[in-house]
Amino acid sequence: MARYGMALDYKSCINCKACESACKEENGILLGADNHRIWVGVNEIEGLFPDLSIGSSNFQPSQCQQCDNAPCQTVCPTNATYYDDNGVVRVNPDQCILCTYCMQACPYDARYVDDRTVTVDKCNFCSDTRLIHGETTTACQATCPTKVRIFGDLDDPESEISQVLRDREHYSLKAHLGTKPKLFYLT
Amino acid sequence: MNLSKLLPYNKHTVKSFFEFERTPLNIFMFLLSIGLFTFMLIGIVIYLLHGHHAYGVTRQHPWGLLIAMYVFFVVSSTGLCIMSSLGHVFNIKAFKIVGKRAIIGAIITITTGFVVIAFEIGHPVRMVIYNILTPGLTSAIWWMGTLYGLYLFFIIMEFFFLNNDNHKYSKIFGLAGLVVGLAAHSNLGAVFGFLVARPIANGVFFPLYFILSAMVTGSYLLFLIYGWRYKMKFPPEVKQSMTTLAQVLGLLLAILMFFEVWRALTAIYGLMPERGDIAIHMITSKNFLIGEVLLGMLIPFVIIVLSKGRAIKLMVYASMTGMVGIFFMRYDLVHDTQLAPMMPLKIREYSLPPGLVEYTPSPTEWMIAIGAIGLSFMMYYAADKFFDLDH
Repeated sequence: MARYGMALDYKSCINCKACESACKEENGILLGADNHRIWVGVNEIEGLFPDLSIGSSNFQPSQCQQCDNAPCQTVCPTNATYYDDNGVVRVNPDQCILCTYCMQACPYDARYVDDRTVTVDKCNFCSDTRLIHGETTTACQATCPTKVRIFGDLDDPESEISQVLRDREHYSLKAHLGTKPKLFYLT
Repeated sequence: MNLSKLLPYNKHTVKSFFEFERTPLNIFMFLLSIGLFTFMLIGIVIYLLHGHHAYGVTRQHPWGLLIAMYVFFVVSSTGLCIMSSLGHVFNIKAFKIVGKRAIIGAIITITTGFVVIAFEIGHPVRMVIYNILTPGLTSAIWWMGTLYGLYLFFIIMEFFFLNNDNHKYSKIFGLAGLVVGLAAHSNLGAVFGFLVARPIANGVFFPLYFILSAMVTGSYLLFLIYGWRYKMKFPPEVKQSMTTLAQVLGLLLAILMFFEVWRALTAIYGLMPERGDIAIHMITSKNFLIGEVLLGMLIPFVIIVLSKGRAIKLMVYASMTGMVGIFFMRYDLVHDTQLAPMMPLKIREYSLPPGLVEYTPSPTEWMIAIGAIGLSFMMYYAADKFFDLDH
């Protein structure tokens, strides 16, 4: 079994939103569900022309952080949210009672109500569509034209993600909450 | 088995059930109860047709008015249970008269709370099944729900034995209901207090505050219940009890205000992001200043202090403003917890002022939430008809 994670070389992001499109196509996200499951954060350019701060403008792609200590899992009253064998935080729609406590508890706004199943859903690293078939890519990672996303097994020291996390400085979002995210932003 | 032997009750025909003294106030309350209940039914039909799309809740603000109203009702229930236990379980003389009416009130309010939450939880039947099959023992919602279920059982048994004049068993179940109710209610506080991602709610405050504000709510409801029961013409022994109740309420309100002041000061101090800014927004809002402070605490407190607790009739009216204030306390606690956007990276979503998550309850939510009060009134009317609640 692996322990999957993702590193994001976010400074290479050009906000083409190919990742959003690929994810939504792959996982059947309904039209109009903007910023659900995956999104690209946009820091607008600050300042007034001509004194614009070019450095302030960047794009920050994001999604579920696949926390090792996920608040959404802890608060679930029916254990509908669980860690699978690959360390991916997933939702069993048959057990979800739609109390939305997980949406309340998630520090990353990563959960949403799926109107097809009327349960809460989230990114699961394409576990249902790819990992289950032995593939080791995600839709967002496979489609990214500037190779922002590096997906792989954090427990395998030879994997690309393990190597890049050894070589480059990186940070996690809201790490002070102790959620131990498995999404890493490369600086 | 003969039901009336097991549980003594007054027999009624349909006609006698609807017979009441035709005073303007009675007729008004009758129409109000029916009207509110009808509203609730309409709201439920809209919800069944459209699901959560009929509500104003969003991904960023998943809990709305119905959660606030659920909290409102279960706080009322716990409050009535605690206040009635003062006489019934702890033998404080002044509260001896309070027993039966408070317990039936507690049963009615928690049942109404369960009805309200059934239309907020997306899959209530599934909840009952998986609550047992795959319990989430680290979840405050699991503990709160399970303990409240147990609590309801205990207070029903308490009422059953009270109604049979079996004071030994009613006391045992009363104590059990009190202990489990306190545990359930502080767990409800913990549902918010455990949210590590939301600094404005995270911490020990809510589990403690819930118990205190439940006692305040229970006191207000006792004034309303007894004001209605005696139509403001209180017999001397009831008057004496109500005066003591007012004095206890004065003390509770003073402690509540003390709690609120320190909560606000610690939240604002240092202006920690997602806490200090939210606290300032909270305490400068009309909901807080007019609803919570003026209606919920100051008006009743001033009346109690100025009259030394003797202005019983005035306190009945002040309890109405008090309950409106309590409603704002519940609404604000749910809403303010969700004010801070969780993911500032979604800049575009939150780029417009005021930068806080917005929420407006939809008409359907109002219909179910406020309509549920009509359901409570109707159940109380029925209980008053079927059972002797005075002895």
